[in-house]
Amino acid sequence: MSLLKVQNVSIRFGGVDAVRDVSLAVEEHQLLGFIGPNGAGKTTMMRIIMGMVRPQQGSVEFRGKDITQWSVHHRVQLGLALAQQIVKPLHSLTLLDNVALAAGTRHMRNPLQAFLNIDRSEARDKARKLLDFVGIGNVNNAFPSEVPLGFIKRMEVARALALEPGLLLLDEPLAGLNQTEARNLADLIASLVTPTRSVLLIEHNIGEVARICSEIYVQENGQRLMQDKAERVMASAALRQAYLGEHKS
Amino acid sequence: MSYEIAVLTSMSIAILFALSLNLITGFCGQVSLGHAAFYGIGAYVAAMLTKAGLALPIALIPAAVMAGLVGVLVGVASLRVRHDFLAITTMGVGFLFVGIVRKQDALGGEIGISGIPSVAFGRPGLLLLALVCMVLFILLSIYIRRSWLGFAFESISDDEDTARTFGIDVSKFKLLAFVVGTAGAGIAGGLYAHHIRFIGPDSFGFVESITVLAMVIVGGIGSIAGVAVAAAVLSTLPLWLQFVDDYKLLIYGSLIFITMRFAPTGIAGIVRTLWQKRQAQ
Repeated sequence: MSLLKVQNVSIRFGGVDAVRDVSLAVEEHQLLGFIGPNGAGKTTMMRIIMGMVRPQQGSVEFRGKDITQWSVHHRVQLGLALAQQIVKPLHSLTLLDNVALAAGTRHMRNPLQAFLNIDRSEARDKARKLLDFVGIGNVNNAFPSEVPLGFIKRMEVARALALEPGLLLLDEPLAGLNQTEARNLADLIASLVTPTRSVLLIEHNIGEVARICSEIYVQENGQRLMQDKAERVMASAALRQAYLGEHKS
Repeated sequence: MSYEIAVLTSMSIAILFALSLNLITGFCGQVSLGHAAFYGIGAYVAAMLTKAGLALPIALIPAAVMAGLVGVLVGVASLRVRHDFLAITTMGVGFLFVGIVRKQDALGGEIGISGIPSVAFGRPGLLLLALVCMVLFILLSIYIRRSWLGFAFESISDDEDTARTFGIDVSKFKLLAFVVGTAGAGIAGGLYAHHIRFIGPDSFGFVESITVLAMVIVGGIGSIAGVAVAAAVLSTLPLWLQFVDDYKLLIYGSLIFITMRFAPTGIAGIVRTLWQKRQAQ
């Protein structure tokens, strides 16, 4: 049974088909790359999986449960986590508390439970370890406005990991980073896959995706183009055509 | 001595009222321009019950419950609106309250309710009750701020869409902020009615909502100490200076404008900055 199974989802915004009859599966212990040219509907798919938008057709299953109508917080509680394309740190909190907040998610399942729990030390300890793990433990107490974009992207990964997800969705984590930063972060992403955690990596940086992902899913104009081993995808004429508009010879 | 007792009572009630709004607006980031409506609900409920023979400390409980229940209704209706739309919605609630009360003969209509009984042990007794309520609400605010509830409120106040991605059921937390905040305003209203011993619809209009908002903004949105200090000062100014009372809306409106333009973190933020500079030296 797949960890995540998206079946025949479609969504229209106005008169435009953003995603049309798309199916996608992520297995346990898998790093799946998700690529496609601009306007392919990658972020829309991510938002459908997270529950930020509801598909007009099709279904989303996670851990064997149909979560198509579930709200975002319920999906997170079931084991989905997202690091968004446009970074969204909580500006009033330090990097440490941004991560600690996610690390203490079990204390905030309902307001009464949150009211009765006061100790933050355990969550902060976990946050410190995660910030060390993503390589920014030296700026724990800085506010998001005081550090560069690359640091915030890493903090977002640490924040998503703090939720202890079964599936981590990363939406263009390498965007805006220089070559060295992108390579380092890509290496870190590759190390995130464990027997209990899979990663779905949406990315424009095809080189890094091909380097770290064994399997790649490709989407074009809101439709599934292919899903195959990385080397086959990279060698396919359909991919070149999707990106460069080249015709098959 | 009775003047000092009256001033201290006014101050305690204002601090309680301002902290109740601070919980909604400061802690949870939900702007409210109609908070005086809940103050009014508490005042009317407590006044009618004490006139029927109930002791004020007991009457404050249904006053808080009724204000909290209406707070839930307004909260539920407001869940889908944010920022300026929420401000306009809550402002509408404030006008709605005044409009309804004006037309209810049972609530005294335009004339209001007079002859509200005094509290046992007179003015000192009321002061003691107001002080106890104020201190309890301050302690509750401090506890909430330190708990995971306060942490969740902080994230919702900062960015509620991001808060959802932490697994937080934002709607439930926002509703709780409304319930606790409006119940606190209900208690403050009940105390106010027995302090002034006459209430009418105009006591709980838009000016009162702006006054309490000015206390929160000038004190520093979210700061318990800052809001308490601002409420203490702004509630006593009209008692000391007649022109402040005459030009209340103008002066408090200007204070909101000046604070938001030049020091959006209010008194608390200014003190914090000065303290940090001193530490750095």
